[in-house]
Order: sequence, then structure tokens, then C-alpha cells
Amino acid sequence: MIDPKDILVVIPAYNEGTVIAEVVRRVRDEGYPHVLVINDGSTDQTREQAEQAGAIVVSHLVNRGAGAGAQTGIAYARKHQIAYIVQIDADGQHYPEDIRDLSQLMESEEADIVIGSRFMNPNKDIPVIRVVYNKLSNVFTNWFCTRWYSDTQSGFRMLNRTAIETIDLHIDGFGYCSEMIILGEKQGLKIAEVPIRVAYTAYSMSKGQDLYMGINTAMNILWKLVSHPK
Amino acid sequence: MQLELYQIIVPLVSIVFIGSLLQRFWAGKSGWQEAMVGVLFWVGVIFFAFFPDFISQTIAEVFGIKSNINAVIFFCLGLIFFFQYKLFLLFKQQQSALTTLTRKLALDDDEKRREQ
Repeated sequence: MIDPKDILVVIPAYNEGTVIAEVVRRVRDEGYPHVLVINDGSTDQTREQAEQAGAIVVSHLVNRGAGAGAQTGIAYARKHQIAYIVQIDADGQHYPEDIRDLSQLMESEEADIVIGSRFMNPNKDIPVIRVVYNKLSNVFTNWFCTRWYSDTQSGFRMLNRTAIETIDLHIDGFGYCSEMIILGEKQGLKIAEVPIRVAYTAYSMSKGQDLYMGINTAMNILWKLVSHPK
Repeated sequence: MQLELYQIIVPLVSIVFIGSLLQRFWAGKSGWQEAMVGVLFWVGVIFFAFFPDFISQTIAEVFGIKSNINAVIFFCLGLIFFFQYKLFLLFKQQQSALTTLTRKLALDDDEKRREQ
């Protein structure tokens, strides 16, 4: 059984001052004391709110994107010899209770990366526009993979020490979700998926990707594959 | 007027992009300048899809080039793509350097705060 104290929960956040404290509290209340918020150049109270809720906060001076935040979390874990990291979104759409499922699967499957999949959940209630966008992204990402992943864009994932030492993300934006899977496969990491729940609210819907960001993400992934093939 | 297949597909795709631009504007994700430039661009694309000969004829008349107009257009397009690629490469390198610097400063700042 993986000890929750060995897990660092990483939350990349950009202008999430209204919800970040609640997200950090929910994670800590679930028994995960170590929470790291990557404050990605926020101009609101994200840093103060996260610190007051008990999180360690590392701040980017300027906004660099979700992928840059995720990689800073990985770099922090490397520096401090963290055994496991779990990344969750800062908008409150993920359930910290589901970290246990990721943790159990990582142990039972001896996986290096576990992805929380919204689409493996039989009771999913995902807005149609998100379903369409994510299915398109799955087709695009899985094109570069050896097996099919049901939710390549999920921001809820767990990495073990091997993955922490191996993964180097180059995409600053949302494309990091795809990049991590493609990179992980190329470097021989074992990737598994487990069903998770997601709470879509008007707030979380306003934070996600749209068509333009999706196209930008696809272009970034293609560029990354050309410029950093390994 | 008999429409070719691309004269149906290109306007439809353009309309999707215009809708997306307006959605971004209404959601507060972009300013009115960005939305207006984008909409004008896609309206232009629709226009040229419907009247493909108009652009080459206009250029030929304006610049007085009556022959080899296609060669001139393709040469200019090639130059534009080349310089665009060079700019894109430079942009990506600067972006990457900025992210590396930002990350280093963030982790160094965290280290200093721990030591205090």
C-alpha cells in the first residue's frame, strides 16, 4: 500500500484564487498532507489563498502554461526526492477521493504512470462539446502511441519515481497531457488507466480548452515531435 | 454559378472558425481587436473561395503584370512561408528559454524561502 505521506499532490494553477483554497483543503482532508501549488504567474490571490490552505507554493514570475507548471512540479519532485506525485486540476473538477484508485492501480499494475480516465467511468456526465473535443484529441494522440488510451487529455494522473526521473516535458500549454503519454511510451514506461469522476461546473467549463486552443495544442505536439523527437 | 467542392467546404470551415472566434470573444477569452481581425480574415477566405480568379486578376491589373502572374504569386508565397518558418523557429526558442528561466527562478526562490 502506497503511503499517502509519500505522495506529493501537484496543482498547477493560474488565476484560481476563488477556488484554490477549497481544492487544497479537500486534498488535505482526504489524508494527503503534502500539496504543492504551482502558481503560474497569477495576478489574483492564488498564492495567498493556497498558502493559507496549507499548500507549499512555487510561483512562476510570468504565466507559462499548464505544461510548464506540470514540469515545474516534476522538477520540484526530482529535487526533493519525492517518491510519487499526483497531478490534479486547480478548478475543482477532480475528486481527491479518487487518488486512492490511482494509487492502488499503480501498485497492483506496477505502472509508472496512471491516468485518471473520465471516459472509463460508466456514470460519466460530460458536456457534449467536451466529449467531441476529447475524442478528437484521443484520435490525434493515439495516432502516435502503440496502444489506445481512453482519456489522453486528463489532467488527473500519478507518476512514480521512475516517471519523475524520466519525463521531461517541452510543451508549455495543454499539449503536455499528450506529450507525457507519447514520451512515456517511447521511454518504455508502463502506463495504466483507471476510471475517475469529474464535476463539471460553469467555472470549470470556462477554464478548459476551446477549438483554437485545441488546434494550437495539436500544432505544438507536432512541432515537439519534429523538434524534440526523443 | 456552379460551385466546386472546395467552394462549399472552405466557407463551412471558415464559418466554424468565425463561430469559435465569436464564442471566445463572448467568453472574455479574447479582445474585440483579435476577434475582429480573425473574423475579417475568415470572411476574406470565404470571399476568395467564391471568387478565386478575382485575386489574380486584380493583382495583374494593379501591378501591370499581364503574364506569369501565378509564378510571381507562388514565389512570393514561398518567400513568406520561409520567413514565417524562421520567425516561428525563433519564437519557439525564445519561448523555451523563457520557460526554463521562469522555472529556475521559481525553484531558486522556493529554496531561498526555505533557508530563511
